Amino acid sequence: MARHIHVLKVHHLTLSFPTRKDPNPKPVLDDVDFGIRDGEILGLIGNSGSGKTMTSLAIAGLLPEGAAITGGSIKFRGQDLLTMKPRDRRKMLGSEIGMIFQEPSTALDPLMKIGKNLDEVLVAHGVTDPAERREKILSTMKTVGFDDPATIYERYPHQLSGGQRQRVLIAGAALLAPKLLICDEPTSSLDTVTTVQILDLLKSLCRKLQMTILFISHDLSAVSNFCDRVMVMKDGKIIDKDTTSDILTNPKNAYTAELLTNARLDTRMLGIERAHVDYTSSPVLTAKGIEAGYSDRIFGKGSDNKVLKGVDLEIYPHEILGLIGSSGCGKTTLIRSLLGLLPHTGTASVVGRRIGAVFQDPVSCLNPAHTVKWHLNEALRVAEKKLSKEERMAKISAALSEAGLNDEFLGRKPHQLSGGQRQRVAIAMCLITNPGIIIADEPFSSLDASSSAEILKLLTDINRERGTSFLLVTHNIHIIRQIAPRVVVMDDGKICESGLTNEVLSSPKASATVRLLDAETKLHGA
Amino acid sequence: MTGKQTAAYFIRKAVELLATLLLVSLFTFLAFSVIPGDTARVMLGANATTEQVEALRAELGLDRPLPVRYLSWLGGAFTGNLGNSTQYRTSVGGLIVSRLPVTLGMSVLAFCMIILISYPLAVLSSRKPGKFADQVCSVLGHILFAIPPFVLSLLLIFITGSLFKRVSVGSYTAPDVNFGMYVRSLMLPAFAIALPKIAMTFKFLRSSIIEQKASDYVATAKSHGLSDYKIMFRHILPNSNVSSITVISLVLSDILGGSLIVEQVFNLPGLGRLLLSAISQRDFPLLSGIVFYLALVTVILYFAADVFSSLSDPRIRIR
Repeated sequence: MARHIHVLKVHHLTLSFPTRKDPNPKPVLDDVDFGIRDGEILGLIGNSGSGKTMTSLAIAGLLPEGAAITGGSIKFRGQDLLTMKPRDRRKMLGSEIGMIFQEPSTALDPLMKIGKNLDEVLVAHGVTDPAERREKILSTMKTVGFDDPATIYERYPHQLSGGQRQRVLIAGAALLAPKLLICDEPTSSLDTVTTVQILDLLKSLCRKLQMTILFISHDLSAVSNFCDRVMVMKDGKIIDKDTTSDILTNPKNAYTAELLTNARLDTRMLGIERAHVDYTSSPVLTAKGIEAGYSDRIFGKGSDNKVLKGVDLEIYPHEILGLIGSSGCGKTTLIRSLLGLLPHTGTASVVGRRIGAVFQDPVSCLNPAHTVKWHLNEALRVAEKKLSKEERMAKISAALSEAGLNDEFLGRKPHQLSGGQRQRVAIAMCLITNPGIIIADEPFSSLDASSSAEILKLLTDINRERGTSFLLVTHNIHIIRQIAPRVVVMDDGKICESGLTNEVLSSPKASATVRLLDAETKLHGA
Repeated sequence: MTGKQTAAYFIRKAVELLATLLLVSLFTFLAFSVIPGDTARVMLGANATTEQVEALRAELGLDRPLPVRYLSWLGGAFTGNLGNSTQYRTSVGGLIVSRLPVTLGMSVLAFCMIILISYPLAVLSSRKPGKFADQVCSVLGHILFAIPPFVLSLLLIFITGSLFKRVSVGSYTAPDVNFGMYVRSLMLPAFAIALPKIAMTFKFLRSSIIEQKASDYVATAKSHGLSDYKIMFRHILPNSNVSSITVISLVLSDILGGSLIVEQVFNLPGLGRLLLSAISQRDFPLLSGIVFYLALVTVILYFAADVFSSLSDPRIRIR
């Protein structure tokens, strides 16, 4: 077979979702044209809805029902994929084209042991000898970094961590050493430390198995140390294509430059100003000796598992307090305890007004059956009961406009909003109760770079103008460095380090902080 | 799960079973004592004198106070003696056992029909939701679910009676007389019982399969190059089974109680008709015996559903 410089060549690909009413809708992919060179790692960057995932699904032949390719071709090692029989195309999946998805927690069949989940791949591609299959699975699991593959082989998916599951999925995709590996946001649900490990793994696999990788992400800065070349996608078109270093240092396209600003969260460019915090005043929130956990006792036997092992915390007026730590350190449990959503021991006292909360996933926070107005009204009813209809409406539109939305949105339901707009509604629901403190749990992690930057600006504006204190939980140290004057680091249910952000991050003492900073440096560069 | 935990689980389930039976019997007893009508009066007929009725009441022990009557019955029940039916004058246990072949036979047949029909239909229907096959199945399901069992039974008799002359309608053959005839005589009533349950199970399975189809692990399986057939049978169906177990156990406990209407229409000596006569004749020992059986079946099925769920889903641990 002739050697091709391009493993995959996508030629003027156009894709749309025609319906009976609208046979010629606006294309989802519009004249997409690129090639992936043998052995390279190509990044595909864009905001949500830009067509990244559709591009990957078109290559794999797993497009959702209703999608129609109206033009162009996809050639894999010289073969035209679009004219192939579906059966032959399916045979290619797993053996020549591998895929890894975003959500490792749900990407494995929960009823099957890890070994069985992987075994299927080999069975489907005609490896008939069980001993040979087992041997191959164990050796691949070793390659993806499991020291004791035989144990993991017998585990069920729910017994593994997110990072471990993603390794299993990478093992599944790499079992037959496919030529092309498509990774669709493989790290966006993982914490920074795990992200770095997974990226390192992919890079080494790429070299070891001579794979080519198409790496899809919404975070431009996250791909900087990983990809050889980067493409930027917007509205179904590829608008910029260059080597990674050129894109990062010298973006020629205006949109790329904007993405870069957003990804770096450059506070000066975004016009973010810090509020002045007076640390001599008395704190608005004081928590002492918070302990919480769960128990799996049956008839008094079994054990108590403490997730929080005595946490002390103070938040001052006007302050944004950053809370960082890797997954499983107890951040979420702490927040839930502070909000009174979990049974806990210890005391948490708030001075003055109530606590508001903004959560990670704005999709599941809003009731899909109701309008924006209903949500705000509900929130207001909790805070203030005796208000006339006019007063209510005035408060609702004031909160909405403070969150950066206008009255047009009042009648919309959650599915008619973008991710960033939903998060704004969640923030408006918080503001309408006039809270003294807002606890924000990873409010950016489900948003793309542009929306994150906007929400970040909104939160800092609220902090400065209203004087609202924030407890900002995130695994993005970069954000903390930019906007939080003080930071606490959690590890294993305890606060292992706290102090002024500059001091903690420039001379970290706890090992957990060092780990987080190392990962951060590897991921985003110094 | 350790052996100790398993033992603890079974002990707790046994205690639960006993408590349920105790409460059920108490409620039955109380309900029976507040409804109007007197056992002795019903047995002797309208022409009996007050003395005769009183004498029979004394003989049956009905003149004793309520708690005493309940405790003496309970004592009997715990030693395995459910008492004698006041209308048939034979042991309640024997009566129930004599009716079981009808009810159990129908239940087994109906259950097989439910599984054999609803699963293939659900798989077929969920292949292309909203398309022709799915629409036909869904509309049929709604119709079957909406028709009252009484009408459904009559319709079935009419259709089969005029189409297949060889199917015997309205006659029952005991299994020890002729097993083939026994199965044949129960076929049609079992079908009448099964039809609405098929509609119900189908609807549940269909939505469960469609939900599983959209899940991430199915996308992974596709990306591994697995065929649609394999994905359906190795991933989607086992996963939808986990949630179906509860529904199926509900269906089973329902059909094991016997169907009053279907038995009436097909003239079958099943548990449903026995229950009806127990109530109308104020036959308390018989009634409580049947209720006892129903409670037992329900509790055991729930227990079995728990065990099956934990066997089929490693995330569910029986506790």
